[in-house]
Amino acid sequence: MNQNIKSIITVSVMSALVFGFSAWNILGKDKTYSESERRELAAFPELTQSTLLDGSFMTDFESYALDTFPMRDTFRGIKSAAEIGLFQKLETNGLYIRNGYVSKEEYPYNEQMLDHAAERMRFIYDSFIADKNLNVYFSVIPDKNCFLAEKIRPALDYDDFIKEARKRTDYMQYIDITDLLELDDFYRTDTHWKQEKIVDVAKRLTSEMGVELTCDFTEKVLDTPFEGVYYGQIALPLKADEIHYLSNDAIENCRVTSYSKGKPEETVVYNMKKADGKDPYEIFLSGAEPLIVIENPDAKTDKELVIFRDSFGSSLAPLLVDSYSKIIIADIRYMQSAAVGSFIKFDKQDVLFIYSTLILNNSLSLR
Amino acid sequence: MLFSSISFLYYFLPCVILLYYIAPKKLKNLTLLISSLVFYAWGEPKYVILMAIGIINGYISGLLIEKFIGTKKAAVVLWISVLINIGCLGYFKYADFFIENINAATGLSIPFLKIALPVGISFYTFQILSYTVDVYRKEVNAQRSIIDLAAYVSMFPQLIAGPIVRYADVAAQLKERTHSFEKAASGIRMFVIGLGKKVLIANALGELCNAYSANTDNSVLLCWMYAFAYSLQIYFDFSGYSDMAVGLGRIFGFELCENFRYPYISQSITEFWRRWHISLGTWFRDYVYIPLGGNRVSKLGHIRNILVVWMLTGFWHGAAWNFIIWGLYFAVFLMIEKFFLLKSLKKTKIIGHIYVLLAVLVSFVIFGSSNLSSAVKCLGGMFGFRGLPFASELQMYYLRSFVVILILAVVGATPLPKKLAEKISKIKDGAVLDIIEPVFLVGITVLSTAYLVDGSFNPFMYFRF
Repeated sequence: MNQNIKSIITVSVMSALVFGFSAWNILGKDKTYSESERRELAAFPELTQSTLLDGSFMTDFESYALDTFPMRDTFRGIKSAAEIGLFQKLETNGLYIRNGYVSKEEYPYNEQMLDHAAERMRFIYDSFIADKNLNVYFSVIPDKNCFLAEKIRPALDYDDFIKEARKRTDYMQYIDITDLLELDDFYRTDTHWKQEKIVDVAKRLTSEMGVELTCDFTEKVLDTPFEGVYYGQIALPLKADEIHYLSNDAIENCRVTSYSKGKPEETVVYNMKKADGKDPYEIFLSGAEPLIVIENPDAKTDKELVIFRDSFGSSLAPLLVDSYSKIIIADIRYMQSAAVGSFIKFDKQDVLFIYSTLILNNSLSLR
Repeated sequence: MLFSSISFLYYFLPCVILLYYIAPKKLKNLTLLISSLVFYAWGEPKYVILMAIGIINGYISGLLIEKFIGTKKAAVVLWISVLINIGCLGYFKYADFFIENINAATGLSIPFLKIALPVGISFYTFQILSYTVDVYRKEVNAQRSIIDLAAYVSMFPQLIAGPIVRYADVAAQLKERTHSFEKAASGIRMFVIGLGKKVLIANALGELCNAYSANTDNSVLLCWMYAFAYSLQIYFDFSGYSDMAVGLGRIFGFELCENFRYPYISQSITEFWRRWHISLGTWFRDYVYIPLGGNRVSKLGHIRNILVVWMLTGFWHGAAWNFIIWGLYFAVFLMIEKFFLLKSLKKTKIIGHIYVLLAVLVSFVIFGSSNLSSAVKCLGGMFGFRGLPFASELQMYYLRSFVVILILAVVGATPLPKKLAEKISKIKDGAVLDIIEPVFLVGITVLSTAYLVDGSFNPFMYFRF
């Protein structure tokens, strides 16, 4: 090819690319929210004399340019594909894919975090429970890294971790559920476990706590595809998960009260308004809630349970409804431990502390 | 503003190219000047004034030196101009370093000035210095147009990270330069390759270096991996930026000097410095080493000249002792080579390569450390003086995760890719390359954009110089 024609082609192709995206950038309508990343995107920064002089306009503009770049998700996907496919990196954006599952390694073991979590639980126990002669149980939910068959990098020693956790909580009866879990019990694109796969876990817990669990559930499927928290982060074209949820008469007829706004508000076990929201997993007990009370008027027993939990507990708690007359579900990530006594009157309930390794090893959020 | 940023690639650059090519010939330098000021102000609004002072100083000094040439007044003007330039550089870049050392030596507690380093000051100050000295030496005529001189000093492709362009090299181009598709295509090619070097390789290697810094669980392997990755990172980072600068220069019709020529294939440190940051090396040679007498003095004088030049070279890179030691470290190697080793090294290629690589790896550990003790720590780890384990599971994971990047970087630091492109260009009279090249350029641009859009790790190492 004539050198001049070749040069014209190079200049034309590259100009089309750069000027094309530039025009699209400038003339296109800016997105304000990224569904895949579950976050608000940066808006065009305020242009004033002071923002120009202190440089904040320029810094904010860079964030705006990155956030609103055309085909942003496609580009993020290209990057992840290049990292894993072309450069053969074992992870991208801190995430790895193994056996079709996306995960973020929970490593290394953070002793201080486990100490903090144990200290918060001990505080609640000492402040509100110890003198009440209640049955108190503790269980650790291993995250899905524990079940990824082939380890691709140094990982948490889960047996050791649980041993350490138990050592710090020896005043509670430990209920081991690790042997009941396997990789298939977790969503491929999310951190959480699948409710339809943890009935055996619910059964083990209730059995250890001395109540019976009716495993009579109807399985329903959410229409909305579930793109879990890792889906957007890894930005690869993965198949979305499905959310299945279990129901029965007890779940449908129970009375659910939320205290997220400081005063009681009626809500539901499966909040379908959340199905189309940023995180469909929030259909389980409406997601982040400091305190929820589930009352089962048809309960065959007057037993009550208080659960201190993280988000894994949201999908577990509904399975226990049939076995208790009342379940109080507290999340000390959204309420101060010291305030627990103001909302929960401990007298005859059983108490279950159940936390995932993800929270126990990163426990600063426990207040 | 970074070349490797969305705001540069998709906002600033297209606008400037459009304005530049629309502008009539007479206004092209003015367009470049205004664009360069916007480019500089984007990162450092308040320091535009400092650069303007430097330009005005250079402009007036140049004219006065030419007017008084052959008289003592010319030398006086030159010295005043040099002192203003060096004074500004000293104040903004080195003041706190001197205060810290004076405080340490005397027990005084002079407060630090805590001045933010104006980006690119080391580069544009050296350009202004070279201009006034060259006028004094009658190597160039003083520039009568302040716009042309300002366009030269502030020209955004080379403003913040070089190459250090001599006025003599672009004086004619400032007046008369050609623009062609061929030149623009060659500039685009160079720019895209530089972008890929920076975004795809240097930044990835930077992540590995960060893993070293973040890791408390150290080992011999990790120390070596860091030294290796950092040496490659700094090469790809800086040479990538220089390639982008040269490429942009060509798009605007300028032929800027080459700054890197595969330094890691050198067989001696002398050769390494003929291939690494060429514009800085030649600047110090022409404006410090030769004026001091170069090698045409006594042996002791020669040694003094080498030490002075390399101490200054190190100091130019940063106001810290590790940079001075880094410079002097090279001075020692250069002297040993000059006086004893060079002939032997030329005979034994492989030993020469190994020797250069080892010496350079150690040098960049010193260069990249935040202080001397961390440099000693890393070097101690590398050479087994700290009793560290050979490797841990996590470090083997890093190695596995970065092995492809490391291989690509090693191959990319040699002329092999260029030779491969030359071979491909011979297949079917270049038809294959004609197809591959645009695809390759688009691919690298798209991939680099993808990395930038994802908000990846994107520092630029030479900014602090």
